Amino acid sequence: MVHLTDYEKQMLDGQMGKFKQKAMQFIVRYAEVLGAEELCQISRATLFIGAQHYLDCYAEDTDYKKIFSEFYLCSDEIVELGEVSECCKTQTCAACCDLREYERTHLSREFHERNRKYLEATKEMGVKIVDSCTPYYVGWVPMMGEHFVTTESSNVVISNTIFGACGNSDGVEAAVCAAITGRIPKWGMHIKENRYATCVFTLDFEVETQMEWDLLGFTLGRLLPKHEVPVIVNGLKNAEINRMRQLCASLSVTSAAEICHIVGLTPEAQTLDMALGGKKPRHQIHVTEKDMEESLSILCDKGSSKVDFVSIGCPHISLDEIREIALYVKGKKLPEGVELQIWTDYATKEMAAVNGYTKLIEDTGAALLTGSCPIVMREDSHRHATAMVMFGAKQAFGIRHQTKVPVYYGEVFSCIDAAYNGRWEEG
Amino acid sequence: MNTFRLKARGAYPGIAEGPAVVCPDSIAGNSGALGDTDGVIYEKGNVNYGVCINDAILVVPCAKGSNGFSAHFKGAQIAGVKPAGWISTRMDARLGVAVASMGIPAVTDFADDEDPVVKIKTGDWIKIDGATGEVLITFKY
Repeated sequence: MVHLTDYEKQMLDGQMGKFKQKAMQFIVRYAEVLGAEELCQISRATLFIGAQHYLDCYAEDTDYKKIFSEFYLCSDEIVELGEVSECCKTQTCAACCDLREYERTHLSREFHERNRKYLEATKEMGVKIVDSCTPYYVGWVPMMGEHFVTTESSNVVISNTIFGACGNSDGVEAAVCAAITGRIPKWGMHIKENRYATCVFTLDFEVETQMEWDLLGFTLGRLLPKHEVPVIVNGLKNAEINRMRQLCASLSVTSAAEICHIVGLTPEAQTLDMALGGKKPRHQIHVTEKDMEESLSILCDKGSSKVDFVSIGCPHISLDEIREIALYVKGKKLPEGVELQIWTDYATKEMAAVNGYTKLIEDTGAALLTGSCPIVMREDSHRHATAMVMFGAKQAFGIRHQTKVPVYYGEVFSCIDAAYNGRWEEG
Repeated sequence: MNTFRLKARGAYPGIAEGPAVVCPDSIAGNSGALGDTDGVIYEKGNVNYGVCINDAILVVPCAKGSNGFSAHFKGAQIAGVKPAGWISTRMDARLGVAVASMGIPAVTDFADDEDPVVKIKTGDWIKIDGATGEVLITFKY
Protein backbone atom coordinates (compact mmCIF):
# COMPACT_ATOMS: atom_id res chain seq x y z
CA MET A 1 0.00 0.00 0.00
CA VAL A 2 1.43 3.38 -0.98
CA HIS A 3 1.45 5.99 1.77
CA LEU A 4 0.15 9.34 0.47
CA THR A 5 0.38 12.78 2.03
CA ASP A 6 -2.79 14.78 2.56
CA TYR A 7 -1.95 16.86 -0.50
CA GLU A 8 -1.55 13.73 -2.62
CA LYS A 9 -4.79 12.28 -1.25
CA GLN A 10 -6.64 15.45 -2.20
CA MET A 11 -5.29 15.18 -5.73
CA LEU A 12 -6.28 11.52 -5.88
CA ASP A 13 -9.76 12.34 -4.56
CA GLY A 14 -10.28 14.79 -7.39
CA GLN A 15 -10.18 17.98 -5.33
CA MET A 16 -7.70 19.47 -7.81
CA GLY A 17 -9.66 18.51 -10.89
CA LYS A 18 -10.08 15.46 -13.04
CA PHE A 19 -6.90 16.02 -15.07
CA LYS A 20 -4.68 15.80 -12.01
CA GLN A 21 -6.83 13.07 -10.49
CA LYS A 22 -6.35 10.78 -13.48
CA ALA A 23 -2.62 11.46 -13.52
CA MET A 24 -2.36 10.73 -9.80
CA GLN A 25 -4.34 7.51 -10.21
CA PHE A 26 -1.71 6.35 -12.67
CA ILE A 27 1.19 7.39 -10.43
CA VAL A 28 -0.31 5.42 -7.53
CA ARG A 29 -0.87 2.39 -9.77
CA TYR A 30 2.71 2.64 -11.00
CA ALA A 31 3.96 2.87 -7.40
CA GLU A 32 2.04 -0.30 -6.52
CA VAL A 33 3.55 -2.15 -9.49
CA LEU A 34 7.03 -1.12 -8.40
CA GLY A 35 6.37 -1.91 -4.74
CA ALA A 36 7.10 1.68 -3.70
CA GLU A 37 5.98 2.80 -0.25
CA GLU A 38 5.64 6.52 -0.90
CA LEU A 39 5.98 9.22 -3.55
CA CYS A 40 8.55 11.99 -3.91
CA GLN A 41 8.29 15.47 -5.36
CA ILE A 42 9.90 16.11 -8.72
CA SER A 43 10.98 19.48 -10.01
CA ARG A 44 12.10 18.73 -13.58
CA ALA A 45 10.73 16.71 -16.48
CA THR A 46 11.37 16.08 -20.15
CA LEU A 47 8.62 14.41 -22.18
CA PHE A 48 8.87 12.36 -25.39
CA ILE A 49 5.57 13.55 -26.83
CA GLY A 50 4.16 15.05 -30.02
CA ALA A 51 3.14 12.90 -33.00
CA GLN A 52 5.57 10.16 -32.00
CA HIS A 53 5.28 6.90 -33.87
CA TYR A 54 4.05 4.99 -30.87
CA LEU A 55 0.81 6.89 -31.60
CA ASP A 56 0.55 5.30 -35.05
CA CYS A 57 -2.19 3.14 -33.52
CA TYR A 58 -4.53 6.14 -33.76
CA ALA A 59 -6.24 7.37 -36.93
CA GLU A 60 -4.89 10.74 -38.05
CA ASP A 61 -8.14 12.56 -37.27
CA THR A 62 -8.36 11.27 -33.68
CA ASP A 63 -9.04 14.01 -31.16
CA TYR A 64 -5.87 14.72 -29.17
CA LYS A 65 -7.86 14.84 -25.93
CA LYS A 66 -8.83 11.21 -26.51
CA ILE A 67 -5.23 10.29 -27.31
CA PHE A 68 -3.88 12.11 -24.27
CA SER A 69 -6.50 10.68 -21.93
CA GLU A 70 -6.19 7.11 -23.14
CA PHE A 71 -2.47 6.88 -23.84
CA TYR A 72 -0.79 9.11 -21.26
CA LEU A 73 -3.36 9.25 -18.46
CA CYS A 74 -4.40 5.62 -19.04
CA SER A 75 -8.02 6.71 -18.67
CA ASP A 76 -11.03 5.34 -20.52
CA GLU A 77 -12.78 8.60 -19.76
CA ILE A 78 -11.81 11.54 -22.00
CA VAL A 79 -10.87 14.48 -19.80
CA GLU A 80 -10.24 18.17 -20.46
CA LEU A 81 -6.53 18.85 -20.65
CA GLY A 82 -5.13 20.95 -17.82
CA GLU A 83 -1.66 22.13 -16.90
CA VAL A 84 1.47 20.47 -15.62
CA SER A 85 2.50 21.07 -12.03
CA GLU A 86 3.79 24.56 -11.26
CA CYS A 87 6.54 22.93 -9.24
CA CYS A 88 7.86 20.96 -12.23
CA LYS A 89 9.88 22.60 -15.00
CA THR A 90 8.72 20.61 -17.98
CA GLN A 91 9.90 20.54 -21.58
CA THR A 92 9.75 18.27 -24.60
CA CYS A 93 12.31 15.57 -25.28
CA ALA A 94 13.43 14.51 -28.79
CA ALA A 95 10.71 15.08 -31.36
CA CYS A 96 9.46 13.00 -34.27
CA CYS A 97 10.65 15.63 -36.77
CA ASP A 98 12.42 18.95 -37.17
CA LEU A 99 9.86 21.68 -36.52
CA ARG A 100 10.73 23.41 -39.80
CA GLU A 101 12.73 21.14 -42.11
CA TYR A 102 10.30 18.30 -42.68
CA GLU A 103 10.76 18.23 -46.48
CA ARG A 104 14.52 17.97 -46.16
CA THR A 105 14.07 14.87 -44.02
CA HIS A 106 11.59 13.26 -46.44
CA LEU A 107 8.57 13.57 -44.15
CA SER A 108 5.13 14.65 -45.28
CA ARG A 109 3.52 18.00 -44.62
CA GLU A 110 0.59 16.14 -43.04
CA PHE A 111 2.83 14.41 -40.51
CA HIS A 112 4.61 17.68 -39.77
CA GLU A 113 1.28 19.46 -39.20
CA ARG A 114 0.02 16.68 -36.96
CA ASN A 115 3.11 17.06 -34.81
CA ARG A 116 2.70 20.84 -34.66
CA LYS A 117 -0.94 20.42 -33.61
CA TYR A 118 -0.03 18.02 -30.79
CA LEU A 119 2.80 20.26 -29.63
CA GLU A 120 0.52 23.31 -29.59
CA ALA A 121 -1.80 21.42 -27.24
CA THR A 122 1.25 20.47 -25.18
CA LYS A 123 2.34 24.11 -24.93
CA GLU A 124 -1.08 25.01 -23.54
CA MET A 125 -0.36 22.62 -20.68
CA GLY A 126 2.72 24.60 -19.73
CA VAL A 127 5.24 22.28 -21.39
CA LYS A 128 8.04 24.17 -23.14
CA ILE A 129 8.89 23.07 -26.67
CA VAL A 130 12.62 22.32 -26.56
CA ASP A 131 12.84 19.05 -28.50
CA SER A 132 16.22 18.02 -27.17
CA CYS A 133 17.64 14.72 -25.97
CA THR A 134 20.58 16.63 -24.43
CA PRO A 135 18.61 19.16 -22.37
CA TYR A 136 21.58 19.90 -20.11
CA TYR A 137 23.12 21.94 -22.95
CA VAL A 138 20.26 24.41 -22.76
CA GLY A 139 19.70 24.81 -19.06
CA TRP A 140 17.86 21.68 -17.92
CA VAL A 141 20.37 20.82 -15.19
CA PRO A 142 19.09 19.14 -12.03
CA MET A 143 21.07 19.72 -8.84
CA MET A 144 22.52 16.98 -6.67
CA GLY A 145 19.68 15.23 -4.85
CA GLU A 146 17.00 16.87 -7.01
CA HIS A 147 14.31 14.45 -8.17
CA PHE A 148 13.50 14.44 -11.89
CA VAL A 149 11.80 12.46 -14.62
CA THR A 150 13.02 12.26 -18.20
CA THR A 151 12.00 10.12 -21.13
CA GLU A 152 15.52 10.23 -22.59
CA SER A 153 17.44 7.18 -21.39
CA SER A 154 20.86 8.82 -21.82
CA ASN A 155 19.67 11.81 -19.82
CA VAL A 156 18.70 9.49 -16.97
CA VAL A 157 22.26 8.19 -16.80
CA ILE A 158 23.82 11.65 -17.24
CA SER A 159 21.63 13.27 -14.60
CA ASN A 160 22.15 10.51 -12.03
CA THR A 161 25.84 10.08 -12.77
CA ILE A 162 27.22 13.58 -13.34
CA PHE A 163 24.75 15.81 -11.54
CA GLY A 164 24.01 13.43 -8.67
CA ALA A 165 20.31 14.05 -9.26
CA CYS A 166 17.75 11.27 -8.75
CA GLY A 167 15.62 9.71 -11.44
CA ASN A 168 14.59 6.38 -12.98
CA SER A 169 14.03 5.33 -16.57
CA ASP A 170 10.33 5.95 -16.26
CA GLY A 171 8.40 5.51 -19.47
CA VAL A 172 6.46 8.20 -21.26
CA GLU A 173 3.14 7.65 -19.50
CA ALA A 174 4.73 7.94 -16.05
CA ALA A 175 6.79 10.98 -17.02
CA VAL A 176 3.69 12.79 -18.29
CA CYS A 177 1.67 11.93 -15.18
CA ALA A 178 4.61 12.89 -12.97
CA ALA A 179 4.88 16.29 -14.66
CA ILE A 180 1.13 16.85 -14.09
CA THR A 181 1.13 15.78 -10.44
CA GLY A 182 4.67 16.75 -9.48
CA ARG A 183 5.06 13.27 -7.99
CA ILE A 184 6.80 10.00 -8.86
CA PRO A 185 7.21 6.79 -6.83
CA LYS A 186 10.10 7.05 -4.38
CA TRP A 187 11.84 3.95 -5.58
CA GLY A 188 15.03 2.86 -7.38
CA MET A 189 17.42 5.73 -8.02
CA HIS A 190 15.36 8.05 -5.79
CA ILE A 191 16.71 6.14 -2.78
CA LYS A 192 20.41 6.45 -1.88
CA GLU A 193 20.79 2.78 -0.92
CA ASN A 194 19.98 1.71 -4.48
CA ARG A 195 22.56 4.00 -6.04
CA TYR A 196 25.66 2.24 -4.73
CA ALA A 197 27.74 0.34 -7.25
CA THR A 198 27.54 -3.45 -7.26
CA CYS A 199 29.65 -4.24 -10.34
CA VAL A 200 33.24 -3.04 -10.72
CA PHE A 201 34.59 -2.63 -14.24
CA THR A 202 38.35 -2.57 -14.76
CA LEU A 203 39.62 -1.73 -18.24
CA ASP A 204 42.62 -3.45 -19.84
CA PHE A 205 43.02 -0.44 -22.14
CA GLU A 206 42.40 3.30 -22.27
CA VAL A 207 39.66 5.15 -24.08
CA GLU A 208 40.32 8.64 -25.32
CA THR A 209 38.32 9.63 -28.39
CA GLN A 210 34.61 10.28 -28.43
CA MET A 211 34.02 7.08 -30.40
CA GLU A 212 36.03 5.05 -27.90
CA TRP A 213 33.96 6.41 -25.00
CA ASP A 214 30.83 5.68 -27.02
CA LEU A 215 31.95 2.15 -27.80
CA LEU A 216 32.89 1.60 -24.16
CA GLY A 217 29.38 2.47 -23.00
CA PHE A 218 27.92 0.00 -25.49
CA THR A 219 30.39 -2.67 -24.33
CA LEU A 220 29.81 -2.14 -20.61
CA GLY A 221 26.07 -2.40 -21.18
CA ARG A 222 26.58 -5.76 -22.91
CA LEU A 223 28.74 -7.06 -20.07
CA LEU A 224 26.81 -5.63 -17.13
CA PRO A 225 24.89 -8.37 -15.32
CA LYS A 226 21.19 -7.58 -15.14
CA HIS A 227 19.99 -5.42 -12.24
CA GLU A 228 23.49 -4.29 -11.23
CA VAL A 229 24.93 -0.79 -10.78
CA PRO A 230 28.27 -0.21 -12.56
CA VAL A 231 31.39 1.64 -11.49
CA ILE A 232 34.42 2.15 -13.72
CA VAL A 233 37.75 2.36 -11.92
CA ASN A 234 40.27 3.22 -14.64
CA GLY A 235 41.05 3.81 -18.28
CA LEU A 236 39.07 6.96 -19.11
CA LYS A 237 41.14 9.75 -20.66
CA ASN A 238 40.08 13.28 -21.62
CA ALA A 239 36.87 13.18 -19.64
CA GLU A 240 34.41 15.90 -20.60
CA ILE A 241 30.67 16.25 -20.99
CA ASN A 242 30.45 15.34 -24.69
CA ARG A 243 32.34 12.10 -24.18
CA MET A 244 30.26 11.32 -21.10
CA ARG A 245 27.15 11.95 -23.20
CA GLN A 246 28.23 9.25 -25.63
CA LEU A 247 29.16 6.77 -22.90
CA CYS A 248 25.87 7.25 -21.06
CA ALA A 249 23.79 7.04 -24.24
CA SER A 250 25.31 3.81 -25.49
CA LEU A 251 25.32 2.22 -22.01
CA SER A 252 21.57 2.69 -21.90
CA VAL A 253 21.14 1.00 -25.28
CA THR A 254 22.53 -2.35 -24.21
CA SER A 255 21.49 -2.34 -20.57
CA ALA A 256 18.94 -1.01 -18.13
CA ALA A 257 21.60 0.94 -16.21
CA GLU A 258 20.45 4.27 -14.81
CA ILE A 259 23.74 5.42 -13.29
CA CYS A 260 27.41 4.74 -14.04
CA HIS A 261 29.89 5.79 -11.38
CA ILE A 262 33.45 6.63 -12.41
CA VAL A 263 35.99 6.64 -9.60
CA GLY A 264 37.50 10.08 -9.06
CA LEU A 265 35.26 11.70 -11.64
CA THR A 266 31.61 11.50 -10.66
CA PRO A 267 30.25 12.98 -7.43
CA GLU A 268 29.15 9.78 -5.72
CA ALA A 269 32.38 7.97 -6.57
CA GLN A 270 35.22 10.11 -5.28
CA THR A 271 36.68 6.80 -4.11
CA LEU A 272 35.81 3.22 -5.00
CA ASP A 273 34.71 2.61 -1.43
CA MET A 274 32.38 5.60 -1.62
CA ALA A 275 30.85 4.29 -4.85
CA LEU A 276 30.33 0.86 -3.29
CA GLY A 277 28.90 2.28 -0.07
CA GLY A 278 31.46 0.31 1.91
CA LYS A 279 30.16 -3.02 0.63
CA LYS A 280 31.83 -5.73 -1.42
CA PRO A 281 30.85 -5.71 -5.10
CA ARG A 282 28.77 -8.62 -6.38
CA HIS A 283 30.70 -8.66 -9.67
CA GLN A 284 34.18 -7.65 -10.85
CA ILE A 285 34.65 -7.61 -14.60
CA HIS A 286 37.80 -6.99 -16.62
CA VAL A 287 36.96 -5.42 -19.94
CA THR A 288 39.33 -6.29 -22.78
CA GLU A 289 40.01 -4.84 -26.20
CA LYS A 290 38.41 -7.98 -27.60
CA ASP A 291 35.16 -6.97 -25.89
CA MET A 292 35.40 -3.60 -27.62
CA GLU A 293 36.11 -5.26 -30.98
CA GLU A 294 33.01 -7.43 -30.56
CA SER A 295 30.94 -4.32 -29.96
CA LEU A 296 32.39 -2.68 -33.04
CA SER A 297 31.49 -5.74 -35.11
CA ILE A 298 27.88 -5.38 -33.93
CA LEU A 299 27.75 -1.70 -34.81
CA CYS A 300 29.72 -1.53 -38.06
CA ASP A 301 29.10 -3.82 -41.02
CA LYS A 302 32.11 -5.33 -42.72
CA GLY A 303 33.58 -4.08 -45.98
CA SER A 304 33.69 -0.86 -47.93
CA SER A 305 30.96 0.56 -50.10
CA LYS A 306 29.26 3.63 -51.51
CA VAL A 307 27.11 5.40 -48.95
CA ASP A 308 24.36 7.96 -49.39
CA PHE A 309 22.99 8.65 -45.90
CA VAL A 310 25.14 9.91 -43.04
CA SER A 311 23.86 11.10 -39.68
CA ILE A 312 25.87 12.70 -36.88
CA GLY A 313 24.47 13.80 -33.55
CA CYS A 314 23.12 11.00 -31.42
CA PRO A 315 22.56 12.29 -28.85
CA HIS A 316 22.19 15.90 -30.04
CA ILE A 317 25.57 17.62 -30.22
CA SER A 318 26.92 20.76 -28.60
CA LEU A 319 27.99 24.08 -30.08
CA ASP A 320 31.67 23.18 -29.61
CA GLU A 321 31.25 20.09 -31.76
CA ILE A 322 29.30 21.99 -34.41
CA ARG A 323 32.17 24.48 -34.60
CA GLU A 324 34.70 21.67 -35.07
CA ILE A 325 32.59 20.12 -37.79
CA ALA A 326 32.01 23.47 -39.51
CA LEU A 327 35.72 24.21 -39.67
CA TYR A 328 36.46 20.66 -40.84
CA VAL A 329 33.98 20.67 -43.73
CA LYS A 330 34.52 24.30 -44.78
CA GLY A 331 34.84 24.53 -48.54
CA LYS A 332 33.92 20.88 -49.23
CA LYS A 333 31.00 19.73 -51.36
CA LEU A 334 28.82 16.69 -50.79
CA PRO A 335 28.55 14.42 -53.83
CA GLU A 336 25.23 14.40 -55.67
CA GLY A 337 22.72 12.16 -53.94
CA VAL A 338 24.54 11.99 -50.59
CA GLU A 339 22.88 13.35 -47.45
CA LEU A 340 24.74 14.47 -44.36
CA GLN A 341 22.48 15.28 -41.40
CA ILE A 342 23.91 16.86 -38.26
CA TRP A 343 21.51 16.92 -35.30
CA THR A 344 21.32 19.42 -32.46
CA ASP A 345 18.66 21.45 -30.63
CA TYR A 346 17.04 24.76 -31.64
CA ALA A 347 18.93 26.97 -29.20
CA THR A 348 22.27 25.53 -30.22
CA LYS A 349 21.42 25.87 -33.91
CA GLU A 350 20.59 29.52 -33.34
CA MET A 351 23.98 30.01 -31.73
CA ALA A 352 25.59 28.13 -34.59
CA ALA A 353 23.94 30.53 -37.03
CA VAL A 354 25.11 33.60 -35.08
CA ASN A 355 28.65 32.23 -35.16
CA GLY A 356 28.57 31.43 -38.87
CA TYR A 357 28.89 27.65 -38.36
CA THR A 358 25.54 26.82 -39.90
CA LYS A 359 26.47 28.56 -43.14
CA LEU A 360 29.83 26.79 -43.35
CA ILE A 361 28.09 23.44 -42.93
CA GLU A 362 25.12 24.09 -45.18
CA ASP A 363 27.22 25.62 -47.98
CA THR A 364 28.67 22.14 -48.45
CA GLY A 365 25.21 20.66 -49.00
CA ALA A 366 24.93 19.19 -45.50
CA ALA A 367 21.99 19.92 -43.18
CA LEU A 368 22.16 21.18 -39.61
CA LEU A 369 18.88 19.87 -38.22
CA THR A 370 17.09 20.15 -34.93
CA GLY A 371 15.10 18.22 -32.40
CA SER A 372 14.98 14.71 -33.85
CA CYS A 373 17.08 11.96 -35.48
CA PRO A 374 16.58 9.19 -38.08
CA ILE A 375 15.59 6.56 -35.49
CA VAL A 376 12.83 8.69 -34.02
CA MET A 377 11.66 9.97 -37.43
CA ARG A 378 11.45 6.30 -38.44
CA GLU A 379 11.54 4.60 -41.83
CA ASP A 380 9.95 7.35 -43.92
CA SER A 381 13.02 9.49 -43.31
CA HIS A 382 15.60 6.95 -44.48
CA ARG A 383 13.80 4.34 -46.58
CA HIS A 384 15.53 5.65 -49.72
CA ALA A 385 19.04 5.09 -48.34
CA THR A 386 21.17 2.34 -49.89
CA ALA A 387 23.96 2.43 -47.28
CA MET A 388 24.23 4.43 -44.07
CA VAL A 389 26.90 5.80 -41.76
CA MET A 390 25.77 6.63 -38.23
CA PHE A 391 27.26 8.25 -35.13
CA GLY A 392 26.88 7.30 -32.26
CA ALA A 393 26.36 3.76 -31.23
CA LYS A 394 22.75 4.37 -30.17
CA GLN A 395 21.89 5.43 -33.70
CA ALA A 396 24.09 2.84 -35.43
CA PHE A 397 22.47 0.05 -33.41
CA GLY A 398 18.92 1.34 -33.29
CA ILE A 399 18.63 2.04 -37.00
CA ARG A 400 19.21 -1.67 -37.65
CA HIS A 401 15.74 -2.40 -36.28
CA GLN A 402 14.37 -0.27 -39.11
CA THR A 403 16.51 -1.07 -42.14
CA LYS A 404 18.21 -3.92 -43.97
CA VAL A 405 20.85 -1.83 -45.77
CA PRO A 406 24.49 -1.79 -44.61
CA VAL A 407 25.20 0.44 -41.60
CA TYR A 408 28.69 1.70 -40.80
CA TYR A 409 29.97 3.32 -37.64
CA GLY A 410 33.28 4.90 -36.67
CA GLU A 411 35.04 8.01 -35.42
CA VAL A 412 32.98 11.16 -35.99
CA PHE A 413 35.31 12.58 -38.62
CA SER A 414 35.60 9.22 -40.40
CA CYS A 415 31.82 9.30 -40.69
CA ILE A 416 31.97 12.84 -42.04
CA ASP A 417 34.72 11.86 -44.51
CA ALA A 418 32.48 9.06 -45.72
CA ALA A 419 29.78 11.58 -46.55
CA TYR A 420 32.05 13.85 -48.59
CA ASN A 421 33.70 10.88 -50.32
CA GLY A 422 30.35 9.19 -50.87
CA ARG A 423 32.05 6.04 -49.66
CA TRP A 424 32.82 4.15 -46.45
CA GLU A 425 36.29 2.63 -46.35
CA GLU A 426 36.80 -0.29 -43.97
CA GLY A 427 39.50 0.01 -41.34
CA MET B 1 1.62 -33.56 -17.39
CA ASN B 2 5.03 -32.17 -16.37
CA THR B 3 4.36 -29.04 -14.35
CA PHE B 4 6.32 -26.77 -12.07
CA ARG B 5 5.40 -23.87 -9.79
CA LEU B 6 7.18 -20.64 -8.98
CA LYS B 7 6.14 -17.99 -6.51
CA ALA B 8 7.16 -14.34 -6.49
CA ARG B 9 5.57 -10.92 -6.03
CA GLY B 10 2.33 -10.19 -7.80
CA ALA B 11 2.82 -6.81 -9.45
CA TYR B 12 -0.50 -6.40 -11.25
CA PRO B 13 -3.58 -8.43 -10.39
CA GLY B 14 -5.40 -10.77 -12.72
CA ILE B 15 -5.05 -14.27 -14.08
CA ALA B 16 -3.53 -14.86 -17.47
CA GLU B 17 -2.27 -17.83 -19.41
CA GLY B 18 -0.55 -18.47 -22.68
CA PRO B 19 2.63 -19.76 -24.31
CA ALA B 20 5.89 -18.38 -22.92
CA VAL B 21 8.10 -16.17 -25.07
CA VAL B 22 11.38 -16.03 -23.17
CA CYS B 23 13.73 -13.13 -23.95
CA PRO B 24 16.87 -13.68 -21.84
CA ASP B 25 18.26 -10.32 -22.98
CA SER B 26 14.86 -8.63 -22.78
CA ILE B 27 13.42 -6.54 -25.61
CA ALA B 28 14.87 -3.15 -26.48
CA GLY B 29 12.64 -0.16 -25.86
CA ASN B 30 14.11 1.71 -28.81
CA SER B 31 11.92 2.85 -31.70
CA GLY B 32 11.45 0.06 -34.19
CA ALA B 33 12.58 -2.77 -31.91
CA LEU B 34 8.93 -3.71 -31.36
CA GLY B 35 6.47 -3.04 -34.16
CA ASP B 36 4.26 -0.20 -32.95
CA THR B 37 1.13 -1.59 -34.56
CA ASP B 38 1.86 -5.29 -35.20
CA GLY B 39 3.65 -6.21 -31.94
CA VAL B 40 6.39 -8.09 -33.77
CA ILE B 41 9.91 -8.12 -32.30
CA TYR B 42 12.23 -6.51 -34.88
CA GLU B 43 15.21 -6.01 -32.58
CA LYS B 44 18.29 -7.19 -34.40
CA GLY B 45 19.97 -10.01 -32.49
CA ASN B 46 16.94 -10.77 -30.31
CA VAL B 47 16.47 -14.56 -30.01
CA ASN B 48 12.79 -14.01 -30.75
CA TYR B 49 13.27 -11.80 -33.81
CA GLY B 50 10.13 -11.93 -35.94
CA VAL B 51 7.94 -13.30 -33.11
CA CYS B 52 4.65 -11.56 -32.35
CA ILE B 53 4.01 -10.90 -28.67
CA ASN B 54 0.24 -11.23 -28.99
CA ASP B 55 -1.37 -13.42 -26.29
CA ALA B 56 2.03 -14.62 -25.06
CA ILE B 57 3.34 -14.58 -21.52
CA LEU B 58 6.48 -12.49 -21.95
CA VAL B 59 9.33 -13.69 -19.77
CA VAL B 60 12.17 -11.17 -19.35
CA PRO B 61 14.90 -10.44 -16.81
CA CYS B 62 13.99 -6.73 -16.90
CA ALA B 63 13.41 -4.09 -19.55
CA LYS B 64 16.25 -2.37 -21.42
CA GLY B 65 17.10 0.34 -23.91
CA SER B 66 15.02 3.44 -24.52
CA ASN B 67 12.63 4.82 -21.97
CA GLY B 68 10.09 4.54 -24.79
CA PHE B 69 9.81 0.85 -23.85
CA SER B 70 6.32 1.16 -22.39
CA ALA B 71 5.02 3.43 -25.15
CA HIS B 72 5.78 0.95 -27.91
CA PHE B 73 3.99 -1.86 -26.05
CA LYS B 74 1.09 0.47 -25.24
CA GLY B 75 0.78 1.55 -28.87
CA ALA B 76 0.67 -2.07 -29.97
CA GLN B 77 -1.98 -2.78 -27.31
CA ILE B 78 -4.21 0.01 -28.61
CA ALA B 79 -3.68 -1.39 -32.11
CA GLY B 80 -5.01 -4.71 -30.80
CA VAL B 81 -1.83 -6.66 -30.07
CA LYS B 82 -0.66 -7.31 -26.51
CA PRO B 83 0.93 -9.95 -24.34
CA ALA B 84 -1.39 -11.88 -22.05
CA GLY B 85 0.91 -11.34 -19.10
CA TRP B 86 4.38 -10.42 -17.91
CA ILE B 87 6.94 -12.35 -15.92
CA SER B 88 10.10 -10.43 -15.00
CA THR B 89 12.98 -11.62 -12.86
CA ARG B 90 13.06 -8.20 -11.26
CA MET B 91 10.95 -5.11 -11.64
CA ASP B 92 12.43 -1.91 -13.06
CA ALA B 93 11.05 1.48 -14.00
CA ARG B 94 10.74 0.89 -17.75
CA LEU B 95 8.81 -2.33 -17.26
CA GLY B 96 6.85 -0.97 -14.31
CA VAL B 97 5.38 1.76 -16.47
CA ALA B 98 4.44 -0.77 -19.16
CA VAL B 99 2.71 -3.00 -16.62
CA ALA B 100 0.84 -0.13 -14.97
CA SER B 101 -0.09 1.45 -18.27
CA MET B 102 -1.29 -1.68 -20.04
CA GLY B 103 -3.07 -3.18 -17.05
CA ILE B 104 -1.89 -6.71 -17.77
CA PRO B 105 -1.23 -9.32 -15.03
CA ALA B 106 2.38 -9.40 -13.96
CA VAL B 107 4.59 -11.36 -11.56
CA THR B 108 8.07 -10.18 -10.61
CA ASP B 109 10.90 -10.08 -8.06
CA PHE B 110 11.80 -13.79 -8.02
CA ALA B 111 14.27 -15.36 -5.60
CA ASP B 112 17.81 -15.69 -6.94
CA ASP B 113 17.50 -19.47 -7.36
CA GLU B 114 14.13 -19.22 -9.13
CA ASP B 115 15.01 -17.04 -12.10
CA PRO B 116 12.12 -17.50 -14.54
CA VAL B 117 14.35 -16.70 -17.51
CA VAL B 118 16.29 -19.86 -16.62
CA LYS B 119 13.39 -22.03 -15.45
CA ILE B 120 10.98 -21.31 -18.30
CA LYS B 121 11.53 -22.12 -21.98
CA THR B 122 9.83 -20.56 -24.97
CA GLY B 123 6.73 -22.58 -25.79
CA ASP B 124 6.03 -23.72 -22.21
CA TRP B 125 2.42 -23.08 -21.24
CA ILE B 126 2.26 -20.55 -18.42
CA LYS B 127 -0.51 -19.54 -16.07
CA ILE B 128 0.08 -16.58 -13.76
CA ASP B 129 -1.87 -15.04 -10.93
CA GLY B 130 -0.86 -11.40 -10.68
CA ALA B 131 -2.50 -11.03 -7.29
CA THR B 132 -0.77 -13.90 -5.48
CA GLY B 133 2.42 -14.06 -7.55
CA GLU B 134 1.89 -17.73 -8.40
CA VAL B 135 3.24 -19.09 -11.69
CA LEU B 136 2.28 -22.51 -13.04
CA ILE B 137 4.51 -23.84 -15.79
CA THR B 138 3.54 -26.75 -18.00
CA PHE B 139 6.65 -27.83 -19.82
CA LYS B 140 6.43 -28.14 -23.56
CA TYR B 141 8.83 -31.09 -23.53
